Amino acid sequence: MNKVGLRHSASVVSNTRICTDHYRLVLQEDRLASATLPGQFVNIRIHNREDLILRRPFSVALVKPEQSLFEIVYRVVGKGTSAMTDLQPDDVVDLLGPLGKGFRIPEKATNCLLLGGGCGVAPLWGVADKLYRTNSKMIVVLGFQSSAMVFGEDKFQAYGADTLITTDDGSYGLKGFVSEHLGKAMDRQIDRAYVCGPTPMIKAVTPILKKANVACEISLEAYMGCGFGVCLSCVVSVRNGEAIEKQRVCVEGPVFRLEDIVLDHET
Amino acid sequence: MKPDLTTNLCGIKMSNPVVTASGTSGYGQEFSQFYDLGVFGAFTVKSITIEKREGNPTPRIAECTGGLLNSIGIQSQGVRHFIQKDLPLLRQYNVPVIVSIAGLSVDEYPRVATILDQEEGISAIEVNISCPNLEADGCSFGGDPEISGQIIGAIKSTTSLPVIAKLTPNVTDITAIAKSVETCGADAVALINTLGGMAIDIQTRKPKLANIIGGLSGPVIKPIGIKMVWQVYNAVQIPIIGIGGIMTWEDAIEYILAGATAVGVGTALFQDPWVVFDIIEGITEYLEKNGLNRLDDIRGKIKLPETPQMQELKEGA
Repeated sequence: MNKVGLRHSASVVSNTRICTDHYRLVLQEDRLASATLPGQFVNIRIHNREDLILRRPFSVALVKPEQSLFEIVYRVVGKGTSAMTDLQPDDVVDLLGPLGKGFRIPEKATNCLLLGGGCGVAPLWGVADKLYRTNSKMIVVLGFQSSAMVFGEDKFQAYGADTLITTDDGSYGLKGFVSEHLGKAMDRQIDRAYVCGPTPMIKAVTPILKKANVACEISLEAYMGCGFGVCLSCVVSVRNGEAIEKQRVCVEGPVFRLEDIVLDHET
Repeated sequence: MKPDLTTNLCGIKMSNPVVTASGTSGYGQEFSQFYDLGVFGAFTVKSITIEKREGNPTPRIAECTGGLLNSIGIQSQGVRHFIQKDLPLLRQYNVPVIVSIAGLSVDEYPRVATILDQEEGISAIEVNISCPNLEADGCSFGGDPEISGQIIGAIKSTTSLPVIAKLTPNVTDITAIAKSVETCGADAVALINTLGGMAIDIQTRKPKLANIIGGLSGPVIKPIGIKMVWQVYNAVQIPIIGIGGIMTWEDAIEYILAGATAVGVGTALFQDPWVVFDIIEGITEYLEKNGLNRLDDIRGKIKLPETPQMQELKEGA
């Protein structure tokens, strides 16, 4: 955690709708752009809304330190994210970050599998960006509800990744869930996997990745109160040696190793 | 001359009246990364139990208009862990430490207090008789004047530290509880804890909290806190820590006017850990602008209409 400057004022560069219910928010703030690692998150205060008590946490999608830029993708699901769609260029956003622990990126070229679902696709941009710089080979499988929700395919293709899209209804790419279309990808040599998506997707891909014995890191979602470790709202069960203990998604996560996560049905 | 914010709360000497509300700032480790904990008048830690407790299943939190519902369920590492791992950090700061304790049975409270009594660096014990989340009888301790008094009395006999009773608002008459704990030796009262609440997701028809019910905090509960502090101020002699929805310095002043000696900031710290600086600065400027030197000049100095009805209400409160 960045100990001194955790609270920042970032200015809005752009806030654009990228597909149904999803927006890409590009922000400018020097220190966040240079200090944030893939998988870390920021906690945004909804401005001028005293009725909304909590900040909203979003994983950072991509950083461009040389331009002091970083971006998030958010899905409109409630009052807070609805209010965020009103943000205009030059508006100032009060945020805390970078928070939590991010993905570990190998220094040498590695064969990697990236699995994303819905809004969780965005944080994998940052992973792909780093992996690209190590000349890693990437296979990317992304799942969305329908063609109207698909975004980010071109981003991964630009990094030279083999990119496969699935939609629940088959309206774009392959029909079905990410977990149903991993067969081909798993036949290839894969050394590391990165996963970010909704809980049902994580539950579905976990047994496949475990069976393949791939080193895997997963970014978890949780309802958060504070985002910096004091409220204990976002705890998950995690293995620590022989013991299973409660850890905070906001501090010990949001990225956990696959083998450490204890999913509901295992307890 | 700068107004004097120093506050004496039942013998605890504080640099200002702003304390953390238990359960909203952990054991200091996280906030110590942001700033010197000495900024607070006192630091109240999250409630500690005798043994380790897992807490409730998730989701443990749900936002509602102007407020926050939670059912954390006293996740605690236990008193021994607190003494070994957390207290040493808190001792490094020039801030009085108030240790909140919780129990699943009447007997557990004095057992925790006895262990804490032998430790250096603790300024007071706050007794959480009001957490609405425990599955066992814990919910009802704070609703019963007699049991509340018993717990306080039992703790008082095990420790020489000041004992603060944290009161629940989920009662018919909070002054009856306050009077009972005062009679049994409480050195101060802290109020209010969260109000019982519940929220339902209308799409899934499921409760928003895994525990179904929880405790409501945040600005939405402030008028209730103000009322109860004023009622208790008129009912007991011991000092009050006013808590409930304090987001700004104006809220803090309002509690002090209602009779609070100190004020507890909780949910606001989730939104902005640095709000404590704004609150202290705002209180200082308020006193300056009104030509006042001390908090005593405003404490309980609410101007009531001098009607017979009001006098009666005040005396009966």
